[in-house]
Amino acid sequence: MRQVVVRPERCVGCMQCMAACAAAHSQSGALAAAIREYPLPGPRVHVGSGRYGEGFPNRCRHCDPAPCMTACLPGAIYRDGNWDTVLIDPSRCINCASCAMACPFGVIRYHRDPWVSPGRAVAVKCDNCLHRRAKGLIPACAEVCKSGALTFQEPDRAMKRRTDEISRRTSGYVDQERSGEEAPGFMLLRQLKKRSGQLAESGRGPR
Amino acid sequence: MDQKRFSQRTITEDGRLMLAKSERDGVETVWDRLEAQQPHCGYCELGLSCRNCSMGPCRIDPFGEGPQQGVCGADSDIIVARNLGRMIASGAASHSDHGRDLVEVLEAVADGSAPGYTIADEAKLRRVAAEYGVEAEGREAGAVARDLARAMQEDYGTRLSRLGLLSRAPEPRRALWDRLGITPRGIDRETSEMMHRTHMGVDNDWQNLLLQALRNALSDGWGGSMIATEVSDILFGTPQPVASRVNLGVLKEDQVNIAVHGHNPIVSETIMRACRDEALLRKARDRGASGINLVGLCCTGNELLMRHGVPMAGNHLMTELALVTGAMEMMLVDYQCIMPSLGQVASCYHTQMISTSDKAKFPGMEHQEFHSDNAADLAQRLVERAVDNFGRRNPDKVSIPSQPVDLVGGFSVESVLQALGGSLDPLLEALKSGKIRGAAGVVGCNNPKIRHDLGHTALTSRLIENDVLVLDTGCAAVANAKHGLEQAEAAERAGPGLKEVCSSLGIPPVLHFGSCVDNVRILVLAAELAKALGQDISALPLAGAAPEWYSEKAVSIGAYCVASGIDTVLGPTPPVTGSMNVTGLLTGGLEDLLGARFAVEPDPEEAAKWMLSRIEGKRKGLGLDGR
Amino acid sequence: MRHLILGSGIAGLQAARAIRSAQPEAAITMLGREPDPLYARPMISHLLEGSVQPSQLELGLPPEVRLISQDEAVAVDAADKTVATQQGRKLAYDRLLIATGADPRGIGAQNTDLENIHFMRTKVQVRDMLEALPGSRRALVLGGGLVGFKAAYGFLRQGLEVTMLIRSEYPLSQQVDPITGGLVRAKLQENGLDVLVGRDVARFEEDGSGRVRGAELTDGTVLDCDVAVVGKGVLPVTGFLQGSGVDVDLGVLVDEEMRTSARDVFAAGDVAEHFDLARDERWVNAIWPEAADQGRIAGLNMTGVPARYPGSLSRNTIRIFDLDLTTCGLVNPPADSGYEILREEDPGRGTYRRLVFLGDRLVGAACVNRIEHAGVLRSLIGSRTPVPCPREDLLRESVHPGGLFPFSR
Repeated sequence: MRQVVVRPERCVGCMQCMAACAAAHSQSGALAAAIREYPLPGPRVHVGSGRYGEGFPNRCRHCDPAPCMTACLPGAIYRDGNWDTVLIDPSRCINCASCAMACPFGVIRYHRDPWVSPGRAVAVKCDNCLHRRAKGLIPACAEVCKSGALTFQEPDRAMKRRTDEISRRTSGYVDQERSGEEAPGFMLLRQLKKRSGQLAESGRGPR
Repeated sequence: MDQKRFSQRTITEDGRLMLAKSERDGVETVWDRLEAQQPHCGYCELGLSCRNCSMGPCRIDPFGEGPQQGVCGADSDIIVARNLGRMIASGAASHSDHGRDLVEVLEAVADGSAPGYTIADEAKLRRVAAEYGVEAEGREAGAVARDLARAMQEDYGTRLSRLGLLSRAPEPRRALWDRLGITPRGIDRETSEMMHRTHMGVDNDWQNLLLQALRNALSDGWGGSMIATEVSDILFGTPQPVASRVNLGVLKEDQVNIAVHGHNPIVSETIMRACRDEALLRKARDRGASGINLVGLCCTGNELLMRHGVPMAGNHLMTELALVTGAMEMMLVDYQCIMPSLGQVASCYHTQMISTSDKAKFPGMEHQEFHSDNAADLAQRLVERAVDNFGRRNPDKVSIPSQPVDLVGGFSVESVLQALGGSLDPLLEALKSGKIRGAAGVVGCNNPKIRHDLGHTALTSRLIENDVLVLDTGCAAVANAKHGLEQAEAAERAGPGLKEVCSSLGIPPVLHFGSCVDNVRILVLAAELAKALGQDISALPLAGAAPEWYSEKAVSIGAYCVASGIDTVLGPTPPVTGSMNVTGLLTGGLEDLLGARFAVEPDPEEAAKWMLSRIEGKRKGLGLDGR
Repeated sequence: MRHLILGSGIAGLQAARAIRSAQPEAAITMLGREPDPLYARPMISHLLEGSVQPSQLELGLPPEVRLISQDEAVAVDAADKTVATQQGRKLAYDRLLIATGADPRGIGAQNTDLENIHFMRTKVQVRDMLEALPGSRRALVLGGGLVGFKAAYGFLRQGLEVTMLIRSEYPLSQQVDPITGGLVRAKLQENGLDVLVGRDVARFEEDGSGRVRGAELTDGTVLDCDVAVVGKGVLPVTGFLQGSGVDVDLGVLVDEEMRTSARDVFAAGDVAEHFDLARDERWVNAIWPEAADQGRIAGLNMTGVPARYPGSLSRNTIRIFDLDLTTCGLVNPPADSGYEILREEDPGRGTYRRLVFLGDRLVGAACVNRIEHAGVLRSLIGSRTPVPCPREDLLRESVHPGGLFPFSR
């Protein structure tokens, strides 16, 4: 079954996945209207920032076994086997945040949500956009990601590509530096940002 | 937050202390907001996003799998070039509009409708008038000023084929500009045309776009900025070496502290006069203050420092922290580089925030509009209110860090010539003999992405150690002054040749050349040196750097420096790397066209190496000894 | 195969689920003391608050599990593979799981048998407390640990005046450092809680009809109260194992497959003593998520599916009024013992974070507010690997999991 596959090294940090996700989980379904809704819809994918400002699209891995599911006191977190998706039943969720401590990826948020629970705060996380899948659409985050950091595909194919990439690098056929050739400007920018960050960290003074 | 993180943010002691206080006081600063913005959008950092039309907005996938063209068909080269062009248009517009305001005051002085202003340097008025072909001989200053103001206004328009002050550039450079088709024709015209060309469906040849961007930048350097500097000198005096002090230690616990922040001397000069008013000083003493202490921030501070020795509180990244001292009665701002957060910071203290320009209003500030006809009166009233505010200062919230550092400012083409005995020959001799290897302009802003003041001071230190004379302006000049590099004693930190020259002239190895529009003073000096040697500027052992730049104005400055033939290294990366064609042209190909190019290097040590190698290379080209 | 599970808490339930998934045909018998169907024990405090209905606590058993309620084991014969119960049953097994949990610790005061003096461990006890509420105005809570604390919060939410007696300087002293404890205390006091430090109850006083009406403290102070709760911690229920051949320390000793010293006997949950990943020593972490994990691992091993349990970590998530708190691992290490502490407090945002390191490892973390990334810290503590990023980065509200898990899906 196709899934959203994350390639963090491709994330440019634009946060369009966050905006698209929030809009997809709003009452209106459209960004322009969604930002005026109450409560405001929140994203279920979260772009974090690395030490030197590298983007990282942080999304529920739908683990199996899922630690959040084991930790959920009222049994509100369950797995939908048909879609291989870990879901939260908002009517059972008591907003105790036990799952915050369980999730090793920090992808669960607690708020009122126009989509599942406008009246009271509950735990909210990625639902693999099952409502969009039912309409033949792919998850919103993957749809808007234009840099290939979030793609919707067969995990097997993604694994094969990853294996190929790693073997190419380790075989010396394409070394680490040269693999930047696919986006030299992006790699250049990253290197420069990293160097200015390291400069500040080093504490090296003007002398 | 621990001390280590404060010191990662700034090298300055006063900065670290105020960062710690800002955290205690619950004040958010520019560094906190930078952190909150992480990660920055990669499309925007790469210059690959375009919002120019409503078929879009568009972005180009830098990895090559996603879209490679905008809806209109523009590829990464076109989009990056258009975005860069618009940055330069904004920067050029900012400097040039600043210049226009000064020209209008000059005209009002001539008309007698600006009671707070006079012609301070009549000799310069006549000299510049002559350059514009305005008859000066035997005429009254007011009449000359009126004609000069109108001639300059023509420069802003479209009725000329070239700007008036281009005559200052050496002949080979002017011929090169003509050949490339980048001779600026009108100040506003080039900005206007840049905006036109970047509209959807106009100029879609990335090289052609970049040429216009260079022309637009030249209309700033040899136009708007140059007019701003020259008219400022005419109205307020041409800088002469003057002693002053710098850092937040210039604030005084027992005095009414007033800061001016922004760029244009039009407002700050009148405030300065009001601060010296006897009646107001008496009133201040009645309120228990021992005086009125005017301090500068950013470039309007540099303007006052250059001409009057008014002490300097700090540069761009210190503007919020100056309020955090809790000792500021009033801050008056004009425009450019004024963070809209300042009103919010001030609300944590008793500081009154006053905006003064009809084109720059800010949240949390009271607006008191200055015009040439009301400026003197208004300045008087506002300083009086600052005095009244002294009593509202909360001593528990006051903390003035560190001891101020001495500096000498006030270097200009005129004052350098004077120091050299009226001719450039001693300087040329020192260059030829190799005592001075070359000269470098270290200019530009602060940027929280670079450890505050590290870029400027580390680079400058390395340059003077290697016998390169440094001319600095703007935030760079403030950073170097705080680091003690603008004192005569700093000659000890220079290499042996430069040290010898500085000691004999009694000047520092780092010359404070003024505000950011005053970068044109460096251009004029470079042009004079070139003319004296019968060379183009690009042949001279000169280099420029903007180690901590952030603003669109700085992009325009960098572009006019390179277009004038001076190699320029940037600290932070400009948003161009999304197109390797554009990046390649700027950092390589431009050399064939202009004899100078850009480099990007966040590490000041490495930047210094690059500048030194470029300077030594140019020395060899001139047949001088090279290292 | 006959599986016998002693105890009907979450460890027993997770074991039953694991066994049923691996062995659809196996016989599973579960022996439970309480009259209620299985329920999520930590939620009884929500029941006291009135934020959930009793039915919301209920947990479903997997199919074909025989539940014997209101009975408990009194002896285990590991050689004979049988268990004798209080009701006189004799149950035979092929695999036995000891998941009998823990009982509240008693106190030394006089008259603790008066009506309306409660422990808060079971649904029945909370039901009794709720029944006592209508006539009650003042509540007394003994102990500043988690239970005391949750009881106090529940009473406050129910509109009672609450006094909490704690022996140490600040609440939750076993879980958190003084700063966190102070924030918690301030939040409770802001909402009407009275905290008395360094005092205990000497004797309870009766109202004449067998109910509590007050308490005399060790310093002679007399306090009125209509209801009292004792929350002084819990002890593993192991008494019935005397002479069984199952090794017991504070809890039942288990290996990483949750096996006890006796053949085919496993233990899991609050009764089991395993290894603490942060403290680096044998420890009983009587908390629900570890019980659930241990039960699942034990259940799998009981069916022959190999599964390993890496060790336990103490942890808690608490939400009181608008304050969120998470703690994990060793937050309060002994002084001068080589532990290093990093902390950051931001009063403006009301956040606080404290991190405890030993060598290059993170061993403890407390977060006040902005707790969404607490699990990332927990996972880092549990991994027992060197922190893969500069330590200061972990103080940021949003820990960047990309740096910690570079190639995760």
